[in-house]
Amino acid sequence: MSNTAGGIGAKVMRRFTYDDRTALVFIAPVMAVLALVAVFPIGYSFYISLFQIKLTRPNRTPFVWLDNYIQLFGDDLFWTAVLRTVTFTVMSVTAITVLALLAALLLNEKFPGRRLVSTILLVPWAIPYVADALMWKWIYDSGYGALNGLLYQLGFIDKYVVWLGDQQKTLPLIANAFVWKEVPLATILLLVSLKSIPQDLYNAARVDGAPLLQRFLHVTLPSMRTGFMLVILYETMIAIRHFDLFFVLTEGGPGTASHVLSWEIYIETFRNLSFGSGAAMSYVLALVTFALAYFVIKILGRSV
Amino acid sequence: MKTGLGRAFGRREFLKASALVGGAALALPGVAARAAGSNINLQTWSAAVDLVKSHVAAFEKATGLTVDYANAPWAQYPDAMVTKFAGGAPLDVLWVSDGWLPQWADANWIAPIDGFDNLMAYNGDAEPFCTDSMTYNGRQYGLTYYTDYMGFLYDADKLSAAGFSAPPTSWDEVVEQSLVMKQKGLSDFPLMLALAKESWLIEFMSAMVFSQGGAFTDDKGNSIMQEAKGGALTTLQWIVDAVNKHKIVSSACLETGELNGLKAFAAGNHAFALLPKYRLAMLNDPAQSKIAGRAKQALMPQGKDGSHATVGWMRFHGMSTQAAADKARAENAAKLIEWFGGKADGEYKFQKLLFLDLGSSFGVKPLFQDADVRAAYNKYGDVELIQKQQALARKKDVITPWFGDWNEVNGSAWQSAVLGNASAADALKKSGKEWDDLKSQS
Repeated sequence: MSNTAGGIGAKVMRRFTYDDRTALVFIAPVMAVLALVAVFPIGYSFYISLFQIKLTRPNRTPFVWLDNYIQLFGDDLFWTAVLRTVTFTVMSVTAITVLALLAALLLNEKFPGRRLVSTILLVPWAIPYVADALMWKWIYDSGYGALNGLLYQLGFIDKYVVWLGDQQKTLPLIANAFVWKEVPLATILLLVSLKSIPQDLYNAARVDGAPLLQRFLHVTLPSMRTGFMLVILYETMIAIRHFDLFFVLTEGGPGTASHVLSWEIYIETFRNLSFGSGAAMSYVLALVTFALAYFVIKILGRSV
Repeated sequence: MKTGLGRAFGRREFLKASALVGGAALALPGVAARAAGSNINLQTWSAAVDLVKSHVAAFEKATGLTVDYANAPWAQYPDAMVTKFAGGAPLDVLWVSDGWLPQWADANWIAPIDGFDNLMAYNGDAEPFCTDSMTYNGRQYGLTYYTDYMGFLYDADKLSAAGFSAPPTSWDEVVEQSLVMKQKGLSDFPLMLALAKESWLIEFMSAMVFSQGGAFTDDKGNSIMQEAKGGALTTLQWIVDAVNKHKIVSSACLETGELNGLKAFAAGNHAFALLPKYRLAMLNDPAQSKIAGRAKQALMPQGKDGSHATVGWMRFHGMSTQAAADKARAENAAKLIEWFGGKADGEYKFQKLLFLDLGSSFGVKPLFQDADVRAAYNKYGDVELIQKQQALARKKDVITPWFGDWNEVNGSAWQSAVLGNASAADALKKSGKEWDDLKSQS
């Protein structure tokens, strides 16, 4: 026994240098914590997803293999949620990227009051999501909301409009609230990317006689590829699993107009207390997020 | 043994110190009570906290028992309780909502109280729907904390301005009077319905279905909501027409929750509203409402085959299974339940205080004869009518272990019909099928 232990110890000593071993000692506590709070829950939640667990039926939790997953794929509401999630994500990420690019380009220029504009731009980022959602709930309210008040006073509408209660408008309006909150961070990321473009490239383009638009298309945009990748990847992951705005603004309604995957998971897990099928849904969401991230990295990261 | 200060600390000193600490602990009443097994764990949601505390203090004084009182916000309460139940946290008496009763009873987390004759004796004073709402599979699980029902409220000024001397008594009259009000420009959408997807939605639906003489389920718990004569179809079609055909209800009803609906009604935007009856007090408070003094209650309008029935709901004091399993603990828990849900010092003190302080309604009929209660009610309502409507309230017929799962689908189905994505019949077929599937699975 001691020989074996000694053997392993000797192997470790041979395999790792003193510096490696020191590093391992320092890393070990963090790894242990990560294993406890991240790796174990991930593994355990997959294990749970193979059972039919309903908290209110604590004595009946049969092992059902992959039934939770199979049932999920046969559920119309699940596919509705997938469609709504994809729509919301595409709308939001596109708008965030375009608006953040415009804001970054603006802040990259020198003009009086630039610092003030930068500060104002950061305000939405500092607001917690629930507060953000409550604020937009007031703005969108069809009875006393600020949006109706403004449009009415400006003469754009002659009577108050139903916003969140209109299924055609619900998802774009939630996306708008999401974009408002997310643009500042995306702007900072793109601004950093913008500032890292060597001035020499612009000078060379000018020497070649390239006008402003050409310089933007052929110098600025390609040089920001890393920044775009970061923004699109991050915002896609955030949008795809976003929950707060749906919870506060519409609770998945009207009808199923804002019934996204995160809402479906919440309902299944915390309202229906079905932890088995809820965990299965969460795994599907995680896999979809992973696949999208992989797709974005693959497409945008080719020449990074 | 050496302490950190380097002083000797031997076995004798250790025993002395232990005795001292133990004595001090026992000298504290709570600890002493716990040691004697006379401590009761009371868990509520965060409502009437000061009132509960003072009533607990009176209980402790009267009985010599001690109470560990804890509360959690209403929104998180079910999750918090399920976690506590699953984790085996100490619980004796807890507040329960009628909607959770079947699940919690099936999970064996709460126990029937019908073995305590002193508690069951209060049923004679309780409204039938209250007792029904606390009963599951023939067993009673608690005594009243508070109760209320869905009321039909109206703005008396708008009614008279439209030339009507009395509020509508039927749903047809609601349409008729609303159209006149629209025509006269008194309100764009005279009737306020709050049909957003939230916990109130089932109460609004049930009130209207019951008043049409209908139900969601039959006596055996089978779905009848999809049937032509079930009442639900008539109700949903009435709502669809009210929104899309008559336009007496705003299509914003789908984004309007109970609280926003209340604010809109209090702002004078509507002539009629379905709202919990206890809101009448706020609506007649000039500091909070523009229609103060004009907000009145009528009996729930009736359908062609219906009555003035409405839906009632119940929040009650229940006993945990762990408390029920221990005779002494169960008896102490029953004492606390009686102190709150029954009589304390010979009167329904807690229910009365709850009503006088917060306007929360009581579930026992004798309090309607109490002079203080009548005076308080008459400040903003008609006590006779309130009592009459309360007597017509019925328990929700969808409260089952699968209620939560079904409620989500049902809410979406009703909204889909109002949006025009499905006919009322198709929406209710979907709802009924979901009910049948869940029932068979359970």
